[in-house]
Amino acid sequence: MSDTPPKAEQATPDTTALKVEGWNPGDDVIEIVRSPDPGPGRATWRTFRETARGLLTTFGRFTETPVTVEYPEEKTPVYPRFRGRHKLHRFEDSGLEKCVGCSLCAAACPADCIRVVAAENTPENRVSAGERYAAVYEINLSRCIFCGYCEVACPFDAITMGHDYELSDYDRSDLIFTKEMLLAEPLERTPLRNEGE
Amino acid sequence: MPRPESKMINFTIDGREVSAPEGAMLVDAAKHGDVEIPVFCYEPKLGQPVGACRMCLVEIEGIPKLQTGCSTPVRDGMVVYTETERVKVAQQSVVEFLLINHPLDCPVCDKGGECPLQDITFGWGGGISRFIEPKRHFVKPLELSPLIAIDRERCILCYRCVRFSQEISEDYQLVLLERGAHSYVSTFDGHPYVAPFSGNIVELCPVGALTSRPYRFRARPWDIEGAGSVCTLCPAQCNVTITVRDERALRVLARQNDEVDDGWLCDKGRFAYQSFHAEERITEPLIRDGGQLRPVTWERALEQAAGALKRAGANAAAIAGGQSTGEEGHLLARLMREGLGSPHLDSRRAGTLSLDAHRALGAPALQANVSDLEFAHAVLVLDTDPVNDASILDLRLRKGIRRRGLKLAVASPGPSSLDPSAALSIRFKPGAGAAFAAALSAALGASAELETLCGEAGVESAAVRELAELLRGPEPQQGADSELQPREVVILWGERLTAAPNAELGAGALLGIAEALDLANVEGAGMLEVPATANGRGLREAGVLPNAGPGLSQLQDAGRDSAAIAEGLAAGELSALYLLQCDPLRELADRALWERALAGASTVIAHASFLTDAINEHADVVFPAEAYPEKEGTLVHPDGRLQRLRPAIARPGSVRAGWHVIAELALRLGLDFDVLSGAMASRQLFEAVPFYSGLTLEEIGGRGVRWQEREAAAAFPAPASAPSGDGSFEEPADPGEAAGYRSVWDAPEVEHSPAFDFLFKTKELV
Ligand code: SF4
Ligand code: SF4
Ligand code: SF4
Ligand code: FES
Repeated sequence: MSDTPPKAEQATPDTTALKVEGWNPGDDVIEIVRSPDPGPGRATWRTFRETARGLLTTFGRFTETPVTVEYPEEKTPVYPRFRGRHKLHRFEDSGLEKCVGCSLCAAACPADCIRVVAAENTPENRVSAGERYAAVYEINLSRCIFCGYCEVACPFDAITMGHDYELSDYDRSDLIFTKEMLLAEPLERTPLRNEGE
Repeated sequence: MPRPESKMINFTIDGREVSAPEGAMLVDAAKHGDVEIPVFCYEPKLGQPVGACRMCLVEIEGIPKLQTGCSTPVRDGMVVYTETERVKVAQQSVVEFLLINHPLDCPVCDKGGECPLQDITFGWGGGISRFIEPKRHFVKPLELSPLIAIDRERCILCYRCVRFSQEISEDYQLVLLERGAHSYVSTFDGHPYVAPFSGNIVELCPVGALTSRPYRFRARPWDIEGAGSVCTLCPAQCNVTITVRDERALRVLARQNDEVDDGWLCDKGRFAYQSFHAEERITEPLIRDGGQLRPVTWERALEQAAGALKRAGANAAAIAGGQSTGEEGHLLARLMREGLGSPHLDSRRAGTLSLDAHRALGAPALQANVSDLEFAHAVLVLDTDPVNDASILDLRLRKGIRRRGLKLAVASPGPSSLDPSAALSIRFKPGAGAAFAAALSAALGASAELETLCGEAGVESAAVRELAELLRGPEPQQGADSELQPREVVILWGERLTAAPNAELGAGALLGIAEALDLANVEGAGMLEVPATANGRGLREAGVLPNAGPGLSQLQDAGRDSAAIAEGLAAGELSALYLLQCDPLRELADRALWERALAGASTVIAHASFLTDAINEHADVVFPAEAYPEKEGTLVHPDGRLQRLRPAIARPGSVRAGWHVIAELALRLGLDFDVLSGAMASRQLFEAVPFYSGLTLEEIGGRGVRWQEREAAAAFPAPASAPSGDGSFEEPADPGEAAGYRSVWDAPEVEHSPAFDFLFKTKELV
């Protein structure tokens, strides 16, 4: 309500009505203070004033041009820290995977949608920089809530949240992203907002 | 020997009055007041504390310097502080020192998530490091053994592993080499640490320095679930926790039960889990078709088996192997006796033992339990080798000798790993265990037959007399303390002592020894049998014997024992053979006879996990058998403790529960067992065996119950007449075979676990 109800006079509780022989309610009695009855004129004004205020906004927009973004032909750029679908990273120099399969992201994930099965690097088959690597790394994106906890948990910055939010498919199982899919350079489908934009 | 008694005393910790057992270390006493003192090197299972890590420092009023809580016993009226500024600074400094050389590679470390070093750093550490100098580096990870990887950078030099090797398993292989920051754990000359109990150090290590190679990088603590179970690979029946991820067993850990295993496991139990998921495991029913075993539907396999059994009728025979549960045994016995009218049923390795002997040897008063082994004055290990037959008892005996002054005597046909710790070791002729027992009985009873019996057993009579003296103990001194404790003696004997042809002689001799030493009436004394198979005792009590029904009850007419079944099959007198998780060529005596028997049988029906020679060549119908973590049912520990198996992992392929298959077969033979679940099968077993009566699965729970300690034990049948044990010793046909010693590694589960490949490779080289 826009106007504050008129201050009711601080009425001292009228305990006389409750007087019972031999019993004194004392300070226990609480008086409920209501605003005074506005009367018919003021009540009508109150009802229509809000409607009119709303309509003012509506009519005010009549003169504006449309602001609809013609998605998917057009896309709204996202902010740099927008949390979209994940990416796994490699070291740029050696090409080894950064992920060591430690499963910390899986432990941090509140939606329980990451599955990591680790294996041991051998001299013939070196996949990551550490002793172990993720033999299986899957994120079930249909369950992910894009909280970014996995990114925070990762001790090697191996997983980060990308910007892609276009994640619909015809089959739920297609939304389980494997390690290869997460490692692959994603199609840059989402424009990024420039600084200050 | 008296069990330690604990008197409660009062002390003050962090300003609170707490009562704790006298003599307990402060670390343990503090727990009575819900105060946790962090520790690394302290582990009560390892015996005396060493005070190596200094993590447990506390402040004690009246002592100027901080004291180690793990090695300071609590005293009445002590005032202890664990949260003062001094203690905090000390704790933070210890953590900082420990982390100076620690590589902090938690993300790639298998201990991460279940690591005391992580937890204590988080809980009591300072949270920062001021050390910027380079850390100590070692090559990592190294193979400490084919089963254990060692990462020496992570080691905090707590000595736990070394103490285990030196003082618990007494294999004296692990040592700390070099000095100061360069110290590292290794074997003396770098040879692989292969020992029957080596895997325990993985569980003991408070950091990720020692990790299991088969479990390496398989899962993290938040990926897994633990399922309690009981290992059925040997009669010791250690309690285990199976680590399960995606319905697969990935690791087996000890589940401490002081009455069974004291918190240790042998390497067979710890690493043979890989066989549950082996490629070669049978996971579908098979039938022989044109000389080849081919997978078929359950329906067909059951029809075929039921048809063959029906045709054989009273000429069918069955043998239950040691991994079957009591329930399976009980149902099998009903199937044979009620469904087919055949009494030919056995679960023992060789030879019949009379019902009276079974009853007399199983009498509740005569049964020792596992902790009696530790607290007895003297233990005689008779014709068994604990490390191979029931591995974990070996550690229990060593503990008794080292910590409680137990006197151990070993009498066996071959060298025993316990010889160096034994007060007396006697070797008798292979296969002559019964004669030796008779000689000992004669020596205890001062019988004249001693010399003859010693001759038969191939021992010096002086040695037997010395043993008798050792068991008797010193004569009570005249005028000495009149309340002299009765001598507690435990006889740990192997089932082969009661093998044919000297079964009665052996049993009689054992009873004679028990009589002479008054084992039945002394608290803490008794006999403990090591059966030849894991659930040997449970199967016998369930009535899988040729001459006894459930609860060792009298039968109308006795059937054939396993040897006689083989003869009957070979001679064509019996036709069908039902093998419940038993491979006769590997497990039963007289392989040649069994070869003929299996060839002679018209139908062989087998529950099996692997296509061993016997199954591959002779089985006509094969039902896939469950591995123990898939089973539901009960086992009986050699000391009478009923233990419960519960399904921990899913059955692979189309494997069905054992009780289910037997009940289905019975249905096809016109017998309705009315079992629809494992629990119903258990209930039927408890109802059938009088001395189990009233038991429930809930009562058995995770720790098991000894039936001797329940009221229903009074229903145990007494022998009709005491077995005399008369009869002379008869040389067994094949003494080596009769001795029947098998290595701890001799198990199909070991062969089918890739982790154990190294054992077989070495064999080839030799
Ligand atoms: S963004 Fe959150 S919900 Fe999604 S995978 Fe990462 S931790 Fe799990
Ligand atoms: S992405 Fe990071 S947190 Fe997840 S398993 Fe790989 S290294 Fe560990
Ligand atoms: S390897 Fe482990 S158990 Fe052994 S001393 Fe080092 S930290 Fe202790
Ligand atoms: S726990 Fe007390 S010194 Fe290690």
